[in-house]
Amino acid sequence: MRKKGPGIFEQELGDLESKIGLTTVGKAVAWAQGHSIWPDTFGLACCAMEMIAIVGARYDVARFGAEVFRSSPRQADLMIVSGRVSHKMAAPLRQIYDQMLEPKWVIAMGACASSGGMFSNYAVLQGVDKVVPVDVHVPGCPPRPEALLEGIVRLQEKILAGVPPAYEIRGVAS
Amino acid sequence: MTLAARKQAPIYTGTRIPSPIPSVLQVDPVLREEGDILEVNFGPNHPSTHGVLRLIVELNGERVEGVEAVIGYLHTGFEKNMEQKTWWKAITYPERIDYLSFQINELAFVLAIEKLLGVEPPPKATWMRTLLCELSRIHSHLIWLGTGALELGAISLLWYCFRERDAVLDLFELVTGVRMHTRYFQAGGLAEDIPPGFFMECRKFADVFPGRVDEYEALLDRQAIWLERTKGIGLLSAEDAIALGQSGPVLRASGVDWDLRKVQPYLAYDQVDFHVPVYFNGDVYDRYKVRMDEMRESTRIVQQCLDGMPEGPWTVDDRKIVLPPRHELHTSMESLIHHFKLVTEGYRVPAGEVYVAVESARGELGCYVVSDGGSKPWRVKFRAPSFVALEATATTVAGSLVADLIAILGSLDTVMGDCDR
Amino acid sequence: MNFADVPRLTSVTEERGETTVVVETAGLREASEYLRDESGFNFLADITATDYLGWNERTVAGYWGHRGGRDINRPGSWGLAKKPEPKPKRFSVSYHLVSVVSGARRATRVRLQVWCDEGESVPSVVSVWPTADWHEREAYDLMGIEFEGHPNLKRILMDDDWQGHPLRKDYPIGGEPVRFSGAE
Repeated sequence: MRKKGPGIFEQELGDLESKIGLTTVGKAVAWAQGHSIWPDTFGLACCAMEMIAIVGARYDVARFGAEVFRSSPRQADLMIVSGRVSHKMAAPLRQIYDQMLEPKWVIAMGACASSGGMFSNYAVLQGVDKVVPVDVHVPGCPPRPEALLEGIVRLQEKILAGVPPAYEIRGVAS
Repeated sequence: MTLAARKQAPIYTGTRIPSPIPSVLQVDPVLREEGDILEVNFGPNHPSTHGVLRLIVELNGERVEGVEAVIGYLHTGFEKNMEQKTWWKAITYPERIDYLSFQINELAFVLAIEKLLGVEPPPKATWMRTLLCELSRIHSHLIWLGTGALELGAISLLWYCFRERDAVLDLFELVTGVRMHTRYFQAGGLAEDIPPGFFMECRKFADVFPGRVDEYEALLDRQAIWLERTKGIGLLSAEDAIALGQSGPVLRASGVDWDLRKVQPYLAYDQVDFHVPVYFNGDVYDRYKVRMDEMRESTRIVQQCLDGMPEGPWTVDDRKIVLPPRHELHTSMESLIHHFKLVTEGYRVPAGEVYVAVESARGELGCYVVSDGGSKPWRVKFRAPSFVALEATATTVAGSLVADLIAILGSLDTVMGDCDR
Repeated sequence: MNFADVPRLTSVTEERGETTVVVETAGLREASEYLRDESGFNFLADITATDYLGWNERTVAGYWGHRGGRDINRPGSWGLAKKPEPKPKRFSVSYHLVSVVSGARRATRVRLQVWCDEGESVPSVVSVWPTADWHEREAYDLMGIEFEGHPNLKRILMDDDWQGHPLRKDYPIGGEPVRFSGAE
């Protein structure tokens, strides 16, 4: 396995392009989608503070095309689940996910969204992939803004390489 | 009006706390019959509710006639989780409760443990804790200002405030190694010594910051739209505020001079000189002014802490609670045994119950701890200021417009992690 | 401050600089009104319910990390296992009161405490301090203590149809067992 890094994912999947059957139009659409992912304002807890930090001038997610955080899920492509999801919040979370139009992607930001984090108890959903299919997990508690940017960049590489969104490949975890 | 006359004039007469349920504003039955009441859900996912708060609002046109707050969407079960961990490991939990002024939460729990143990940390730890808590307060107020102004339309302040916030987080990273959720305090002092270079960086920040606060205030204070949207909105009188358990900037904006740092000084607050801002109109504008002034006062405290930082050890010398330095583990058998016992079993805290209250950026943050003498807490409860602040929603929102509702929620400065725990 | 005149008083203890006033559960409202009106405790900071199920069952070694070291003259302070002092009933409800006076430079605090068992109800103090509304709802939701006289006693933090009261000692911690930890 080659070393990880930016662009490697795209290279690894380069030879799959013929099998997936991407056309030039498909590549153009993927280029447009990948470079203008608009996130939904789904900040829940501490990770939301680092998510707002990427909008700031130092980390600047605008250079990746994702600075327009839409409040309405109908206008958003990406749901960054940032923070711990309690069981009470799981139903609204799924509802917001359902309201998003396809194609849509989910980033589970932080340890709590990926697996329940340090809260292995009655109140917290042990991983948001139990209710929504997740494309990218970003580790950290909370992840640095650079880590979240890395997650968004990896997602961009996936989209540009033609990998379908998570709901087409896999469902929710059991 | 002279200052004395202003102090005497009540914000409104009588009480505006709804009855019979103090936290629910109910629509007048006559209006419900005749008027056209629309029930709207300000759902848990809303850009302006500062987290996952759900408000069930009943509107008559644009006017809010009924409101009920539904919380619990971020309930994490901190208190039960902390009962499963040893005292040392449990300190990582309180930080995530109020994730804006996280070090102050840690402080409350650590002070409670120290009160039960009966240990007094050394002066260097006390002064450093004071400094970091004031930086946490600045951090919290910056985020409040950035997001609060964003909701009312002053969007560029978000970028300015987050620029300063990154400067504060750089300081935290310099000292502790992480930006947020630093876990730097422990029972007996600090986790590690203060690294060199911190004081110089902190001084640079403290020299620049008051000028920045003046800039932000200049952007807002003379802006007609800001004044129109915040003056006279969300009134809360002093008696109602005390009856509703409000503390912190909300109470001080209603004219009550009550700050736990002055009233029951903890850490090094009795050795530094600072002023407590109190305003008398009880509206959104006054709460904003209180927080702006608090940022300036916090910077003064930071500068005084930098000037007066004592030398010496950073933890207490008691090996039964604090890990021995690593180089001793090679030579001393007792240190090895202490290290082993502390890491596997943890220190034991004498039986008893204590309640420690500190002044967080939102008000009185209390930590009630019950110990049975063992190595794990028996019960930990956090008195969350945001939980109590949301009870005041019904009182402050009575009769206002929907747009004012957003301004009032912003001024109460609630953090849902703190509210739901 | 002298608490001897509080109606329905059971005991007053002082420990580590904090005063705990225990009153009879049925007389809570009377005692609260006395403390608010006569003693000036106009601010209710917090209501905490604690479950002492299993309190006296396991022993704890009397060896604690204390700067004073070990006192060989005090039994249980040097390594012998002992049980903590038994509690009168299963649940305690503590009310942390403060006397807020604008401009004061001293805070007077007191902890008002009542004890109750499973199934017993505690009078609600919402009429005395309106802020008790949500605190009592939380104590009901997480501990299952009924507050008689509360205008709106329903769940606040958990789902409306949640079964059980999570913070009780006989309620499991929940969550998922970690693989290979032996907890599965």
